[in-house]
Amino acid sequence: MRRVAALGALLAAVSLCACGGSRDGKLALALNWKPEPEFGGLYEALRTGAFASRGLPVEVTGGPGAPVVQMVESGQVAFGVAAADEVVLARDRGTDVVAVFATYQTNPQGIMVHAARKLSSLADLFAAGGTLAVEPGLPYVKWLEKRFDLSRMKIVPYGYSIAPFLLDPMLAQQVFITAEPIQARRQGADPQVFLIADSGFDPYAAVYITSGKQLREEPARVAAFAAALRDGWRGYLDDPAPANAKMGELNREMDAETFRLAAAAQQPLVETDFAKQHGLGAMSLDRWSELGRQLRELGLVDHEPDAASCFADTGALAGGASRP
Amino acid sequence: MIRRRLDLVAPPLATFAATTLLAELAIRAMRVSPLLLPAPSAVARAAWTQSALLLPAFASTTRCTLVGLAASALLGILAAIGLASSRLVERAFYPYAIFFQIVPIVAVAPLLVIWFGYGPRAVVAAAFIVSVFPVIANTLAGLRSVDPALRDLFRLYGAGPWARLVKLELPWALPFVLTGLRVAAGLAVIGAIVGEFVGGGGLGVVVLGAMREQRTDLVFAAVGYASLLGLSLFALVNLASRLALRRWHASEEGG
Amino acid sequence: MAAPRAETAPTGIAVDLRGVRRTFASDGDRVEAVGGVDLSIAAGEFVALLGPSGCGKSTLLRIIAGLDHQDAGEVLLEGRPADARVDAGERVAFVFQDAHLLPWRDVLGNVTLPLELLGRPAAESRDEAMAGIARVGLADAARRFPSQLSGGMRMRVSLARALVTRPRLLLLDEPFAALDEITRQSLDDQLRALWAGTGVTVLFVTHSTAEAAFLAERAVVFSPRPARVVLEHALDLPADRGAELRAEPRFAHEAAVLFAALQRPER
Repeated sequence: MRRVAALGALLAAVSLCACGGSRDGKLALALNWKPEPEFGGLYEALRTGAFASRGLPVEVTGGPGAPVVQMVESGQVAFGVAAADEVVLARDRGTDVVAVFATYQTNPQGIMVHAARKLSSLADLFAAGGTLAVEPGLPYVKWLEKRFDLSRMKIVPYGYSIAPFLLDPMLAQQVFITAEPIQARRQGADPQVFLIADSGFDPYAAVYITSGKQLREEPARVAAFAAALRDGWRGYLDDPAPANAKMGELNREMDAETFRLAAAAQQPLVETDFAKQHGLGAMSLDRWSELGRQLRELGLVDHEPDAASCFADTGALAGGASRP
Repeated sequence: MIRRRLDLVAPPLATFAATTLLAELAIRAMRVSPLLLPAPSAVARAAWTQSALLLPAFASTTRCTLVGLAASALLGILAAIGLASSRLVERAFYPYAIFFQIVPIVAVAPLLVIWFGYGPRAVVAAAFIVSVFPVIANTLAGLRSVDPALRDLFRLYGAGPWARLVKLELPWALPFVLTGLRVAAGLAVIGAIVGEFVGGGGLGVVVLGAMREQRTDLVFAAVGYASLLGLSLFALVNLASRLALRRWHASEEGG
Repeated sequence: MAAPRAETAPTGIAVDLRGVRRTFASDGDRVEAVGGVDLSIAAGEFVALLGPSGCGKSTLLRIIAGLDHQDAGEVLLEGRPADARVDAGERVAFVFQDAHLLPWRDVLGNVTLPLELLGRPAAESRDEAMAGIARVGLADAARRFPSQLSGGMRMRVSLARALVTRPRLLLLDEPFAALDEITRQSLDDQLRALWAGTGVTVLFVTHSTAEAAFLAERAVVFSPRPARVVLEHALDLPADRGAELRAEPRFAHEAAVLFAALQRPER
């Protein structure tokens, strides 16, 4: 469904001019979903003025289905949130966007099944059969198709509702670990989640991107932006409650308890050993190279991408050392 | 005869060719990002290289559209006959027919999948819901517009309701039915694709996947196939109209 | 003055109207269309019903045909009330102001229609229809469609359709009004010949005094709405009426009598 809205928004994006991403002196930032713990650090940074104190008048826009990559490229927004594979794909198609901050060090996507099926791995699931609801065109679906034999699964589109899952005990669906499994449990189901990362496909997720143009012309601004995000995430990890309250006002579909559970579920994926060592949001060349290789194997990109150009080491940009 | 066919087909083809050429040149000259608007040559290339993906999808969407359209035609005509039977019946039930017109299929499609399950049944249901109303409305208008003098004639000779329906009302309404089908054909394609967005299969899923993979050229190629389907159905209805009405209706006379 | 009829004995039925009234109510207004009509028509008679536009003569005709009902009074066909319409379709035929053919059927299909609706066998119906089509001189056009015919030809098909059931009462409501003068006179001639050949009772509504004078044995003139009989006049003209009759002085005289009655609203 978000892609349906994206189709319409794409047409709107065609007619927009590049205006540096600022409107009335604001720095626009496009989200690709509703305010949720996924963006906890961002809202914490906004709440505590981490952006303001660095002279960044950040204004949040976008939502489910927003064509973030196109919006960043056309200059309609200065920053956006996307998946790492979207960045590689975009660059392959000639779109100059660059990642500057990776929220999730471990990819939070997975497949959710009913625990009653007593499956112990994805391989078990694919051998058992049933329906698999996934967003068409997701790279990790192609990854699964390559690694496993999916011929016994009936693959259907995922409509961002868990209703089919709740109704059909033989249905498996894609999930974001902070979202659907929590919803399902609260609706009385007993879900079991298999992380995609465990099967060897582990791109960064909830990656903040900017245009190559902005990176070249305003490196200090980009560095400041990343630094503010780091502060925000630090604050959110320490105490998610205030930012959760703020996001709860904007997103009335989720209640406070769900916010709390989601924030807790995502913590280990955000603050991994690597993040502890190099700073929240930091990225490595190895991970981007591996992603490029995997996407090339899957035939999603035509040329092996230049991993180094996919992301920016914002610590180096600012000229400062990485956080301890 | 060949000359006439050429006269009919040449102008729109020429316009199409000219527009495509113009678009190709303009897009290249302005260096428009292929993510936003791919050049016609890129779309054609995508259609060619991805034909293994597109052709079965096209076949699937076509199948579901045809079944949905056939259901609309059959049930729509029957519903109109029922509505035409009395003013009271019409007043009581017509608002529910209008419901089919106004219900936003994008919102209803997930419900269809819950009721009919993933797959062709939900897609056919979506195609039907979107395309049935024009058939009902037009057929009803046709049935209500029967020449009163002819009704008198039938009454004079003691014709029963069945004879009246089959020998007078349905033939009279035929041009209206065909007009309704013309509109319904294009809508059925839309309904099917929206159904596929949620229910899976066909060109709808290809469009979703191509969007996600940022292959805008493939999106356009899929949309092109969908347009081809809509055009073909429209042409089919026109052909049926010409054959059925050729000898007697003003709309097809001189043909 | 009735001269001997043509070859066949009269097969037409007699029509009696006694005190027939009809009022229409629409949007609160009550319009009296027929204001008490008494009339007797003998079997096999050719009667013209003459009156100004909108006077209610068409309504009267429809009541006689059974397409409408009277609010008061009696309509008797052959002495029996017209309500007993068991075999109405076999006895009565109606010709409308326009041909009103089924456009999707050819001439043969249109003329066969009444027999089809009455449940007659197909082969027999076909033969009857072809004979009727020949009688109006359209044998060559039997396979043509109404859209391929001229106005006059379509009206002839309508006539053939009306006569195919061998009706005993033929009602015509200004059938030739929409046609040009030459075609109209030609059809008048043909109608009279058909009547003479079959002995059917004919009621012919018109507002043309010349047409009434030429066709009818007796003319009934109506007042403006509500319709009441103003004059019943037997036409003093020979039984054999050729086209040249229209040029004769006695014809003009008879037409003038009718015209005068039309202008004078009440007796």
